[in-house]
Amino acid sequence: MNTSNRRNRWRSGLLLALVAVTAAACAEDKPLNIFEPQGPQADRIHGNTLFILWMATAVFVATFAGAGYIIWKNRVSEEEFNDGEFPEQVHGNPTLEWGWTALPGLILAVVAVVTVPTIFALEEKNDADELDVMVIGQQWWWEYRYDVDGDGFFIDGNGDGVVDELDEGLPLEFSLDPDDVSTAQEMVIPVGQQVDLLITSRDVIHSYWIPRLNGKRDAVPGRIHTWSLEADEAGEYTGWCTEYCGLSHARMRMSVIALPQNDFDAWLANQMLPAAQPDPSDELAIAGKELFGQQCASCHVVDDPDFSYPTILRDSLGDPVLDDTDHEIPTSIFVSPQVAKAAPNLTHFASRSAFGGAIYSQYAELDANDDDLNELGIETYTDLDANYRWNTAQLRRWIANAPSQKDMAPDDRRGMPSFALSDEQLDQLVAYLATLD
Amino acid sequence: MAIIEEPLALPSGDRPTVSNPLGGLSRPRGATGLKDWLTTVDHKKIGIMYGAAALFFFVIGGIAALGIRTQLAAPDQTLLSGDAYNRVFTMHGTVMVFLAVMPLGAAFANYLLPLQIGARDVAFPRINAFSFWVFLAGGILLNTSWFIGGGANGGWFNYAPNNGVAYSPSTGIDFWNIGLLIAGIGSMTGAVNLITTVLNMRAPGMSWMKMPVFTWMTLVTQFLLLFAIPVLTVAQVLLLLDRGFDANFFNVEQGADPLLWQHLFWIFGHPEVYLMILPAFGIVSETIPVFSRKPIFGYPFMVASGVGIGFMGWGVWAHHMFVSGLGPLSVAAFSAVTMFIAVPTGVKILNWLATMWGGKLLLNTAMLFSIGLVTQFTVGGLSGVMHSVAASDTQQTDTYFIVAHFHYVLFGGALFGFMAGFYFWWPKAFGYKLSEKWGKAHFWTMVAGFNLTFGPMHILGLQGMPRRMQTYSEVQGFGLWNMVATIGSFILGVGSLLILVNAFVSYRAWKRAGRPDVGPDPWDARGIEWMIQSPAPEHNFDVDPVITELDDFWHKKYAEDENGKLVRVATAEELAHPGNGEGVHLPAPSYWPLVLSIGIMIIGYGLIFSLYLCIPGAFIMMTALYGWSLEPADDLDADDHHHGEVEVAHG
Repeated sequence: MNTSNRRNRWRSGLLLALVAVTAAACAEDKPLNIFEPQGPQADRIHGNTLFILWMATAVFVATFAGAGYIIWKNRVSEEEFNDGEFPEQVHGNPTLEWGWTALPGLILAVVAVVTVPTIFALEEKNDADELDVMVIGQQWWWEYRYDVDGDGFFIDGNGDGVVDELDEGLPLEFSLDPDDVSTAQEMVIPVGQQVDLLITSRDVIHSYWIPRLNGKRDAVPGRIHTWSLEADEAGEYTGWCTEYCGLSHARMRMSVIALPQNDFDAWLANQMLPAAQPDPSDELAIAGKELFGQQCASCHVVDDPDFSYPTILRDSLGDPVLDDTDHEIPTSIFVSPQVAKAAPNLTHFASRSAFGGAIYSQYAELDANDDDLNELGIETYTDLDANYRWNTAQLRRWIANAPSQKDMAPDDRRGMPSFALSDEQLDQLVAYLATLD
Repeated sequence: MAIIEEPLALPSGDRPTVSNPLGGLSRPRGATGLKDWLTTVDHKKIGIMYGAAALFFFVIGGIAALGIRTQLAAPDQTLLSGDAYNRVFTMHGTVMVFLAVMPLGAAFANYLLPLQIGARDVAFPRINAFSFWVFLAGGILLNTSWFIGGGANGGWFNYAPNNGVAYSPSTGIDFWNIGLLIAGIGSMTGAVNLITTVLNMRAPGMSWMKMPVFTWMTLVTQFLLLFAIPVLTVAQVLLLLDRGFDANFFNVEQGADPLLWQHLFWIFGHPEVYLMILPAFGIVSETIPVFSRKPIFGYPFMVASGVGIGFMGWGVWAHHMFVSGLGPLSVAAFSAVTMFIAVPTGVKILNWLATMWGGKLLLNTAMLFSIGLVTQFTVGGLSGVMHSVAASDTQQTDTYFIVAHFHYVLFGGALFGFMAGFYFWWPKAFGYKLSEKWGKAHFWTMVAGFNLTFGPMHILGLQGMPRRMQTYSEVQGFGLWNMVATIGSFILGVGSLLILVNAFVSYRAWKRAGRPDVGPDPWDARGIEWMIQSPAPEHNFDVDPVITELDDFWHKKYAEDENGKLVRVATAEELAHPGNGEGVHLPAPSYWPLVLSIGIMIIGYGLIFSLYLCIPGAFIMMTALYGWSLEPADDLDADDHHHGEVEVAHG
């Protein structure tokens, strides 16, 4: 199998998609605007929104016009108010009042008739052979797991799968089906296909929201919520966690990248490969790999036989709860061999467009000032080689002292700690990460 | 029609002669100044203290709001760190809801309810004092977290499991939990007290359908409190056990479902929304007829819609949870009920407009604020109907569109109504009118600031700006309207303070003019509270008023002549009670409500910091309870009142 070809193919597809994104992003500078649906689910919601918005506007105009007229016509000066004359003393008009009790009732009945079918339509599932993605929120980033072989199981690292998408009530485990894919920050989906999501959380409640593709759905620990997305066109669709989830809620963002089917297939095939090995001549990257094994691999997984992952697994608080030879110890939903201590799986780190909870771009314009590269600006890298480069400056800042870049609480074992790394070590790590495409 | 309670007679048949068995905290007699305020059981003084405390907390919540707006004025601001921002927005919401808007309702209810129904006081005057002091104790405890707990940081609805120790290890959440638990005691006792008062102590002749609309709305409010607060209390006790004693009610790893908290919170939380707005609805139902020179249009519909809102308010809580994974059937059901709760609210709006229709409208400050409520609340109501369309709500919920919605309801609705109430009843409480000049400046700066602050938030929400965001980036394109909202918020902040400026300026002018008597009825108003002197004398009515009509006082002033034309038949001065308290026996003041509240507050700190601190707290609490129960309800030895008629029930 020619893996480098496959890599090139998905990369060119990704870049192609980003051209489209760039055009879209330039045309519209409100990437989260809810009035620009770009998928059938969002479109259906948009119809409801416009319907009720116009209704509300009509009632608003009528009420304000009426109130304005009444006030304008009947206002009097203080002298006139006190002149002893009285307007007609009307105590009520039951016919009128029953009327304006019934009329809004009827209008609202119409609204209900429009609303209810949409509520049910949004719950419709895709066909069995289409893609399902498990979306797992945690403080403060999103993980995505792809059920690549379509067996309906996202788990079953031990061969005893318990969760299938038809049976949401069973207890969860996050150990990975070996033929599945785990990635982070951005969800890559095929264009024009309804992708079903199984949304859950490892810690507190989050909410998954890609406004151009669908409404929100909460990620609640201990529950799996089904939801779906579909993009009409290739491109990038950004979102933001919308349930307050603690310290760094404002910096928990995400995006969906929709690729044409062929490019998506290539991307997926690449994701299923084990981690790339640094070129033997690249001493910096090889040193970085060694450092990664010492410093990073206790939290971040890279699928590489050279790394031995701890036999003691940890729960979300970092306490050891399960060793992977003893399945009798009660499992916790926080336990996962793929995401030890709930940090992103970095096997294909360099294939992503963002890092740090999708707040930092992995690429920068060639002539960009490194100090200005703090935020993800998806204007983006249409021609990586000619105009864009690896966002080394921000990546180094992040690795050296992540809590200085984004509010986190590493002392409470939530978020990435600060490491005392030398400049040389940072160079090594960045060189290694760049090989993980 | 008051509850009569005679002091216990001794076996000999004599009345007891020693009524202060605990000499150290003897019952205060003829107290003045601070001691008078600390020991009073007068519903009017308690109402004024509720109002003052609410305005104080309103200023604290307002400062927090300006902190939020300054932080969000432009992209990538760093005035407030993520942690500080989370605490500030949490405290803003909590303080405004529980310590500003709710107690403003309690202020008006306490002050006005006995006056509107012709009663001497509330049913249980000492419990009334306790309600206030324990509310204040909870409020102070919550706010000391700024200094010793870092402020709560879970959001005002404080969702599980983020409110657990694992994710919120600081004591901020404990302050939130205990502070509101303690303040909730006051809401409960207040509700029981006011419900009893309305049920039992209405003046002779005041049947249900002759009760003022404000009294009706307050009665509905108290029933909502009576049933809603316990639900919150249950949730908070579960959280207390989770955080303090390692219980597992919200621990997902032990099989808990964190949606339990959301259900409990919103079963409380939605009636809470209505109990904040209904008192304001009641207030403008009093002011609009007076300044339109017309009776309220459709009194039975106004009452029925208020009661209807009270009932329907229990069936809509899950519309706060449309995206939490309830399942489509539940979502559809709650979506439909939420739509139809707009019907009784719409009836109210239309009836207010119909009251003004064909009237003679005097656009003074009280009327302007009343019209402010009618119009601004309409905006909030319509965005509320938009949320009831559940699919559409999946795009709007947890964005600034929601923030805009509930500020239009609670600020443009409830607070504007309370401001109308301040201007309307200020002369009754303090003996002078607030300045109209300053009042109009107050109103227009508030309206301008309010719409400039919260209007743009509709746009921001539809542009996709999530709420509770410490910061945002240039690329999201939220900069412009955030800047507008921030400018608006400072205008609104200045506008809100003008009520205090007005009170000060008007008082000084009144004092310089030699404190002229404003008269019993400065507005030519309708309710019987205008039949007594201003400020209201301590004993309220000299004799029980006898009610024959809705708006009884107005009907005593005006009648139709032989041509069917309305003419004045009596002046207010002729009708007003002269304010002679001779022969009236009032409930005696007491230290114990205050002491009891202090004990509870110390127990609260004990639950946060150290259970040992609960021991002295419990000792003080038990002492107060014994002292209270041993203290005869009646002060037989007091010489400042005659012992003719024992007319007030004693709590």
